[in-house]
Amino acid sequence: MTPEAIESPASGPANPQGGETGRGKTSILVLDDEPIVGKRLKPFFQKAGYEVEAFNLPLEALARIEARRFDVVITDLKMEGLDGLSFLGKVKALHPDTDVILITGFATMETARQSFRKGVFDCVAKPFKLAELLDGVRRIEKERGLVP
Amino acid sequence: MELPGLKDIIARLRGKPPVPFSVLYKKFKGILERHNAILELIGDMGDKLGGDYVFDRQYIFDSCERLGDQVFKLISDLSLLCQRKNVALFTAFERIQFAIREELAGRRVLSRTDHILPMAELTHDLADAGGNKMASLGDIKNILGFATSEGFVITVGAYFEALAGAELRKPVAEAMRRLCENNGAGLAEESRALQQAILEMPLPKGLGRAVDHAVRRLAGEKNVLFAVRSSAWDEDSESSFAGMYETELGVPAAEILPAYRRVLASLFCEEALRYRLHHELCAEEPAMAVGVMPMVDAVVSGGLYTYAPLQEEDQAMVVSAAWGLGKPIVDGTAETDTYLLRREPPHELLSSDIAAKTTRLVLHPGGGTRTESVPEEERGEPCLSAAQLALLAKTAMTLEHFFKRPLDVEWAIPPGGELVVLQARPLSIRPRASAARGDVSEAAKGAPVLLSGRGVSAMGGVSAGPVHLVAEGEDLSDFPYGAILVARHSSPRYAKLMPKCRGIITDVGSATGHMATIARELRVPTLVQTGSATRTLREGQEITLDADHLVVYEGALEALCRFELVREDVFEESWEYRTLKRVLRLISPLTLLDPKNDAFAPENCKTFHDIARFVHQRAVDKLGSLAETHREIRQSAPRQLATKLPLGLTVIDIEGGLDPAAGVDAGERDIRCRPLKALMEGLNASGMWETSPVAVDMGSFMSSVTRTFGAEAAHPSRMGRNLAVISREYLNLHLRLGYHFTVVDAFLGGSMNDNAIAFRFMGGVTDLARRSRRASLVAAILEQFDFLVEVKGDMVTGRIKKHPTRPMLDKMFMLGCLIGYTRQLDAKLDSERALQRHLEEFLQRITALRETRE
Repeated sequence: MTPEAIESPASGPANPQGGETGRGKTSILVLDDEPIVGKRLKPFFQKAGYEVEAFNLPLEALARIEARRFDVVITDLKMEGLDGLSFLGKVKALHPDTDVILITGFATMETARQSFRKGVFDCVAKPFKLAELLDGVRRIEKERGLVP
Repeated sequence: MELPGLKDIIARLRGKPPVPFSVLYKKFKGILERHNAILELIGDMGDKLGGDYVFDRQYIFDSCERLGDQVFKLISDLSLLCQRKNVALFTAFERIQFAIREELAGRRVLSRTDHILPMAELTHDLADAGGNKMASLGDIKNILGFATSEGFVITVGAYFEALAGAELRKPVAEAMRRLCENNGAGLAEESRALQQAILEMPLPKGLGRAVDHAVRRLAGEKNVLFAVRSSAWDEDSESSFAGMYETELGVPAAEILPAYRRVLASLFCEEALRYRLHHELCAEEPAMAVGVMPMVDAVVSGGLYTYAPLQEEDQAMVVSAAWGLGKPIVDGTAETDTYLLRREPPHELLSSDIAAKTTRLVLHPGGGTRTESVPEEERGEPCLSAAQLALLAKTAMTLEHFFKRPLDVEWAIPPGGELVVLQARPLSIRPRASAARGDVSEAAKGAPVLLSGRGVSAMGGVSAGPVHLVAEGEDLSDFPYGAILVARHSSPRYAKLMPKCRGIITDVGSATGHMATIARELRVPTLVQTGSATRTLREGQEITLDADHLVVYEGALEALCRFELVREDVFEESWEYRTLKRVLRLISPLTLLDPKNDAFAPENCKTFHDIARFVHQRAVDKLGSLAETHREIRQSAPRQLATKLPLGLTVIDIEGGLDPAAGVDAGERDIRCRPLKALMEGLNASGMWETSPVAVDMGSFMSSVTRTFGAEAAHPSRMGRNLAVISREYLNLHLRLGYHFTVVDAFLGGSMNDNAIAFRFMGGVTDLARRSRRASLVAAILEQFDFLVEVKGDMVTGRIKKHPTRPMLDKMFMLGCLIGYTRQLDAKLDSERALQRHLEEFLQRITALRETRE
């Protein structure tokens, strides 16, 4: 999948929908090996005012993470090739101030505990509501001072 | 030491000892719990289609698996309770389970094996069998209700069977892999070889006969000519392949099969193979269905782009039209009239350019087509009238809203004058604005927000239009085209408006109700349960509804609507969405309705919901009969309950439902069953009637109606008797009053999560119109009290669960009132206005009653 997010400088009054920050739009990377997840999340967050790139392949996402920093990473926990926890580890190592939301199939207490130790901001169990995820991202923006 | 099994043998010799009643009651409670869990799971699965949720393939597999497991256990529980094997029920289960697994495996269980699918049955749910292009046409015909060509599809199944018969499936796959690995080296030769193989392979046995049969059904003995059109997987969808595959026009019946082969072979034409390589479609298996449809003998034909591909005209659609058949227009070889129309209703004509049309393509009676010259006097005439243009524009915009993409619509008008849609495919040029100012986050910037974060999305999507407020019971026939419907309650009555309305917003309603289901079918953005939309939004106000983000903006936000049309993927066309919708057909409809009907039998269970319903009913019946026959519970045997109202109510107390001190002559004051107590209070609140204009004393009225059924109701062996099975928290009530039949199943007072009320209401002797009016009334009242409501004919089902016990008991009180209030109403509901009046009256009275209660 080719990321085609469009960057644009912030201008004008704050977007009532959110996503707008003083230094540009909040950026999100979505990684899930089920393509439907990226296909749904990308337009949803774009419409809500975010800059979004979505990936199905962990290695591609990893390459992207190495190339640039995202404000928020939303990743599936269980994937072929590289699991969400290792991906999370790499993200945190490269960009300690990137916040991660973990999407889990069946959230077991143990993985949840493990992931929180590794600095996960929030866990969302599949299937989840779009609004639930948006809330998570907004909380991150608030805590990081990304929104006024 | 005891010999293993010795006890059993002795027991068998002595005859089976009865299972203790407490064990059976536990089993019964287990069934109730499992039954509820199953309904909840089914409801959850339905919710996922609403657009609020993100779910994936795994979710579908897991929930089907979990549900299958629960249903199997439910039947096993019943077998234990009833001490029966329930073979027929297990067989029904296996049948449904098998069909679900086949759906999940992508193996469509078609009832027909002849590989023919009539257009009249085709929708996108069958896109795997009918290919994309024909499935879209099927949606246009069968869901949106526009005229399209008749005809049939030779399915993808036929293609695969032919391929397998000639042992070509593997060679095809290998050729595709070679091409991908070698980056297209030798593409021309591979293409030639593959096409040759397709042209020479034997077709499935019986296909010729099936085609003959289908042709005869369409045309009788008449000499009709056909269009044979490709409809491949992926064609006209995310990828396009537009114009690469073959279409043959004017094909006589006898030539259909050879034409079919040629169209199939084009699946591997060089252009299509190259397209596959360049668009990374190597992993997708090529497959094709082929549409066969009678040629429309058109007087005028043409095309329409819902977005004009012109720099200066951003907000226009463009129509090209010429005399005769449409092929020269599509090919760009004919002189055509060109009209520009505004995209917004009423689609005003911006410009028209009338060409001198010297030739036209017509059908050749012997087969094929020929070009002839247009009579002098018609050459300079416009092909389309203003009315025809307006109809075309409305049709195209409705299609665009449904498919959520800018479209290229091919159409024709036969001598009779009715517009026929020949095909609609995504326009490969996307709206210009998306590329240039594609920043969608800016789209809603600064727009005043009228509603935000309230309500539930029953169908996602974005659309703009003027508000049209619809009052309860209002005549819907003059609903303005292109408006957004705003109403207090959701109602299945709005179904017929959906093709012309752009969106729906209600104050009250559920995302799983009947209306929501239809809205999803027609893809109308729908927001329910907003609480206050009818008060916030004004008649005629231009708004933009974003049902994905639960926001209503003031004004028409063109850019936001446009974004909807430039998405790469349409959710409703995804594998996940289509598959969930298909398996739900085997899961959630309830087709077993009336337990007194002979059809209420295991063999007739068509869905998991049916099975759950059947088991639940049998379990309740069994408990009733056990309570009458089980030797252990003589003391809690059926008791006639003395009530203020002559209800003829028999009570079976399983556990703490009546005061232990009460004897055979138990009365209302002895009721300890919380749900029954609350319901009786509602029934007894007969103050509701004292101001009623009908001068009938409540008691005598009720007894006169009950008396009609008195003898029957008193007979304990009959279904339909007035029977309450109760414990302290549980009530299962079958109440027949007059001609109305009410079932209440409630469990209240355990943990909040177990609290549940299910209410069902049906029957009546008046005409169907009045009965359905009463059903709408009951539904509206239930929705007012936050029930999830479903209406089927004159049957209303309302469910509510997981609220704290106190408010749930209030709802039981309300149900008592409702049962009493609606009983006498049938005859009086002679108009929609009467319905509205009674709705208001009931709500007023219950408000007053509740105030005095508090």
